[in-house]
Amino acid sequence: MTATPTFTINRRQILKLAAVFGATATLAACSGPSLGAGAGAADAPVTDWTGVIPAKEITWWSNHPGTSKLIEEEIIKRFQAENPEITVNLVTAGANYDEIAQKFQAASGTNSVPDLVLASDVWWFRYMINGQILPLDDLAKHLEFDTADFNTTLYDDYTFTGNHWAIPYARSTPLFYYNKAVWAKAGLPDRAPKTWAEFDEWAPKIAADGGVMPLGLGKGASWAAWWFCNMLWGQGGAYSDEWTMTLDTPEAIAAADYLQSLIYDRKIATVAAVDQVADFGAGLTGCIMGSTGSLTGILKAATFDVGTGFLPEGPKGQACPTGGTGVAIASDRTPEQQLAAGMFLKFLTNSENTAYFSSNTGYMPVRTSARDGETMTKVYAEFPQFRTAVDQLETTRSQDWGRVFVPNGDKELTTALEKIMLQQAAPAEAFAVASTAIATSFDENVSAYL
Amino acid sequence: MPTIEDLHRSTDSAVAVSVSTGVVSPVMPRTFTPRKKKKPWKSWLLFLLFAGPNVALLIVFTYKPLLQSLYYSTLQWNLGSASAIPVGLGNYVTWFDDPGTVRVVTVTLIFTIATVGGGMVIGLLFAVLLNRKLHGRGAARTIVVAPYVLSGVAVGLLWLFVFDPNFGITAALLDAIGVASPPWYNDPHWALVMVIIVYLWKNVGYVALIYLAALQSVPRDLLEAASLDGASPVRAFRNIVLPLLGPTTFFLSITTLLSSLQSFDIIQAMTKGGPLEGTTTMMYQIYQEGFQAGRAGYSSAVATILFAVLLVVTLIQMKYVEKRVHY
Repeated sequence: MTATPTFTINRRQILKLAAVFGATATLAACSGPSLGAGAGAADAPVTDWTGVIPAKEITWWSNHPGTSKLIEEEIIKRFQAENPEITVNLVTAGANYDEIAQKFQAASGTNSVPDLVLASDVWWFRYMINGQILPLDDLAKHLEFDTADFNTTLYDDYTFTGNHWAIPYARSTPLFYYNKAVWAKAGLPDRAPKTWAEFDEWAPKIAADGGVMPLGLGKGASWAAWWFCNMLWGQGGAYSDEWTMTLDTPEAIAAADYLQSLIYDRKIATVAAVDQVADFGAGLTGCIMGSTGSLTGILKAATFDVGTGFLPEGPKGQACPTGGTGVAIASDRTPEQQLAAGMFLKFLTNSENTAYFSSNTGYMPVRTSARDGETMTKVYAEFPQFRTAVDQLETTRSQDWGRVFVPNGDKELTTALEKIMLQQAAPAEAFAVASTAIATSFDENVSAYL
Repeated sequence: MPTIEDLHRSTDSAVAVSVSTGVVSPVMPRTFTPRKKKKPWKSWLLFLLFAGPNVALLIVFTYKPLLQSLYYSTLQWNLGSASAIPVGLGNYVTWFDDPGTVRVVTVTLIFTIATVGGGMVIGLLFAVLLNRKLHGRGAARTIVVAPYVLSGVAVGLLWLFVFDPNFGITAALLDAIGVASPPWYNDPHWALVMVIIVYLWKNVGYVALIYLAALQSVPRDLLEAASLDGASPVRAFRNIVLPLLGPTTFFLSITTLLSSLQSFDIIQAMTKGGPLEGTTTMMYQIYQEGFQAGRAGYSSAVATILFAVLLVVTLIQMKYVEKRVHY
């Protein structure tokens, strides 16, 4: 046996170590945010755009929603044909909106910030309060953007303090999908139920004669709290009234009670383990609430005829939230780059390209002219299911701030809904925990920046 | 000739005694400390040349981020914002006050104990098995070690399908013996069991590999002598092999513990910390708070706490566990 080596340290070594740490600490303090009150949104630019010459090269960060990389490349090619002096670099900056947002926020203050970035419904507001994106109204006016042609709800989704902070691009809503073969077996009319009450009547027939679980529900972040807007608003409730959480209202509790009763009392709904769309495509469930962005994929994957319809109405009527992503321009770029980015953004979302993008991906046509144009009319003729999704757009409304504008808002609501759906927790208790957490997060992470 | 006791009593003795042999040998008086020779500038230049780049990289990529994280933990800072508000220890107080912290710590403890303890036991068993002269030993070694070199995300995605209660192979196997598939994805406890199984599957090869190398260096004559003295294989393993594996076990206990506490990829690919945050470890919470919620200051505070825990655990291991190790 040999002696165990002992670890000793003398005064000189301690001093040397302190010197190294001191030097490193000094380095550490040289970077990072400045101290003080929250920076807040970027001010409206005072740039006189008339004197600005567009930059020769710009960068666009996208995750190519709806596997649209080739579509986006084609639009860039068309833009460069019209504007040969501007090169657009398309960068795959993530697999989804969250990954793009993480990179965009981490890149803040560096030279790696893109000129254009996707800004989803749950992220644009955070970009805005961090001062990372540009208010677009002045630039749009200078470039003579036809903003009046945008679907009003989708365009105004990005409004705060009187400015628009993004332009709608790949926008979606939840949609009701049903298995026509199952419907036929159950002897049901070939349409979606108009109301949840009607679905309650149909569900036993779907289970007995259709031979499948009537309704498949999805769980998980960025999803459960989105489709639940339908049941919540349909009962007359809401997650929040601006910044005040309203999950303790009888309407909100009634919505959660209804959801829980579908699973536990009447046993006509199940929560998918991994992917409710895959379960539906495999014929395990009779119907689901899925994204309109999944329409093309569902139609391709399903081995049966798929029907689509509006989300069922609650006692207080039709209720459908908007979702998906817009495109924003980074504030930390030169006016030349911002102008070039604005020119491309105008081209990207013009009527022709909106129709081209929507017809190839399944996302909503964000312009009225595109919705009613020749390209989309052909699509509706070929896929009538798509027309339903577009028609439902007129009934949509913007989401509650408590979910989409407060950090961790969606996560806390998802946890509450999962407790209700998976553990049969009392809705009032689950919602109370979420409400407290979201209110705290607002105080800590939002109010200082407004 | 002085006795051993005399020598021990003498504080400035010029001789020392080897306790094991009793031999007395002259040594330098304790009070004499030779003055260090000043190193010539060439030595410093060489030091800078060889160690400089490494030290610079360590400072830039390890110590600077470490201290930056410590500094950010005292700020209320939204990731991406150009300004932040100093809050002192506020983020730490929030973390300790948060009712969810108990759950996160519990999940972290269960995950760590199961993966470190389970991994070492299973890895050792594999190593013992693979150390025997068996047919197909080479192929078996490759099979055991192969998952370790795979990407964690790829492993997570693969097992995502394996555990699928509707289409997965586990459901099919359980169904064949008349057992229903557990709700791997909808029950927080089963989800934790699932990610532990996958983590073990991926990492047990590493433990087996290191133990196998150590087993092959165990002197055969010791085992033969024990066998001649009538020791059973189990007793020889317990009393000879295990103590000789001490340094390896010590090394593995530190590396697997650090690796387990920093595990992220499998959880991200399979459960994203859910359901009901049932697989949210401290490491995953750092990611969630920092990048999903954008609470960079709070996330840094959790990272600092995790760093402190790792530091303390490693120091305890070095101070107490290492003493029991026979080199």
